[in-house]
Amino acid sequence: MRSSSTEAGTATPKSHRKPYVQQQPASWWLKNRFYRFYMLREATSVPIYLYALVLMWGIYALSRGEAAFADWLAVMQTPAMMAFHLLVLAASLLHAYTWFDLTPKILVIRLGAFRVPDLWVKLAHYGGFVVTSAAVLLLAVLFLNGGSL
Amino acid sequence: MATEHSAMIQMTVVRYRPEQDDKPWDQKFEVPCSNDSTVLEALNYIKDNLDPSLSFRWSCRMAICGSCGYMVNGVPKLGCKTFLRDYLNRSGRKGKVRISALDNFPIERDLVSDIGDFVDKLETIKPYIIRDNEKPASDGEYLQTPGQLEKFKQFSGCINCGLCYAACPQFGRNPEFLGPAALALAFRYNQDSRDEGSAERMEFLNAEEGVWSCTFVGYCSDVCPKSVDPAAAINQGKLASNIDYGLNLVGLAKSGSGSRKGSKTKRDNLSVDDKQSVKTEDVS
Amino acid sequence: MTKPLDSTVARKPYPYPRSHEPIAWSLFGAGGMVVAFIIPVLALITGLLMPGWPVETLYPNLLAFSQSWIGKLALLAVISLTLYHCAHRIYHGLHDLHVGGNPVLMLLLFYGGATLLSAITAAWLLVI
Repeated sequence: MRSSSTEAGTATPKSHRKPYVQQQPASWWLKNRFYRFYMLREATSVPIYLYALVLMWGIYALSRGEAAFADWLAVMQTPAMMAFHLLVLAASLLHAYTWFDLTPKILVIRLGAFRVPDLWVKLAHYGGFVVTSAAVLLLAVLFLNGGSL
Repeated sequence: MATEHSAMIQMTVVRYRPEQDDKPWDQKFEVPCSNDSTVLEALNYIKDNLDPSLSFRWSCRMAICGSCGYMVNGVPKLGCKTFLRDYLNRSGRKGKVRISALDNFPIERDLVSDIGDFVDKLETIKPYIIRDNEKPASDGEYLQTPGQLEKFKQFSGCINCGLCYAACPQFGRNPEFLGPAALALAFRYNQDSRDEGSAERMEFLNAEEGVWSCTFVGYCSDVCPKSVDPAAAINQGKLASNIDYGLNLVGLAKSGSGSRKGSKTKRDNLSVDDKQSVKTEDVS
Repeated sequence: MTKPLDSTVARKPYPYPRSHEPIAWSLFGAGGMVVAFIIPVLALITGLLMPGWPVETLYPNLLAFSQSWIGKLALLAVISLTLYHCAHRIYHGLHDLHVGGNPVLMLLLFYGGATLLSAITAAWLLVI
């Protein structure tokens, strides 16, 4: 406690404190596995962002007619693009895996006194993932086969 | 150590003496250890037998006081709860361990950190039951169902050890971030059915220095010795803050000072220094 | 006011202004759901299924889909929310990496950029 008295002989003594302030280096995330995995998780957003741009390009091509769209499709067939798609697939799957791990922590569902276990929420998400993927795949195959909307 | 030692640990302790040193430096010690030796016991061995000038905080020896937080091989741990047997090499007779003061806090001396800022933050978020109307003792106790208890019980287990702050890179980046323990504590009170003060605490959650500095790294929950899971508290707080933001846009938010009678106490308007000399008076 | 002796780091003074991060976080959250549920299968489709399929059957059906309102909305939602989710993550990721820059410019580049790209996508979808 600081003394605020002004009586003789009771003045505040000189402090010899010299705290050493530790600065966070820019390489902090290389320090351990946990941080490195966090950065990898965040980095998944880069290829996915680029993929969104590729999809935009596809829509643009779609709006310009069949010839333009055929060109876009040809580019999708190049080895570079297929490799990029594998990267996007890996990134989005890692995103989904980490996302489904985190969502139960935020999405707490209580029905009266019963709290839905984290595992159920996670499994529901994985279930939804399977159902949605199957549905979209089915729709895609229908389109490719000339099925009606 | 009472038992016969079975191994020798080379402990590198990061020293810092403010009156002699400009920056921290390593000092190596050879410490005998047995199967149940802890880092804390080894530090006390060093102080008792090798170098009495070594400074470190400790108290209960049983992971409940929260005093003995240090970095052990770069990981925030409680010294009393960390066993040296986990750092032995394959022979089981030798090992290496590096101990330093907790990351992200200023180092006062050796393994002693300046946690004044941390304590300030705990005080800031109003960690006490706030009632619109105090319930007189004659009315009896507050009753809570197991379900009501479950909503906040986990978050009430915090022993204020600071490991989560050492773990959190967002706090390391920006010391103004309220941090895992303070935000978990604020959320703990908001979730308590006896409390009627969430409107007052939302101000802290809603701020940039509140939940919104968190990027859900999650390391805080990983290192917490009491399984408080502050990351869950903060991110549930994000949901609450999000809803509050929306309600505020349509003028339905309860948060914000002055929105409830007596929301600002005399204590709130004082600077930190003055608080130390003024006695806390009743909140009206 | 003198700095208290028991702390070397100045505590942020009362009051704490409300952050506008909830807007970004809502978009980030919605986008995160889209990326988790839709992007993997979409990458499979555009990367494996579509290439090599005869464009004569592919194009008319895709066109019909994107001419329907439900198709337009679906495509816009997927692309726009994905952009916002990734922009938010990259914006905060750069902050984590200690990569600086004018704060206003950074906000414009990422959130403004995502908004602009979403508007452009919407415009293209409208003319299809």
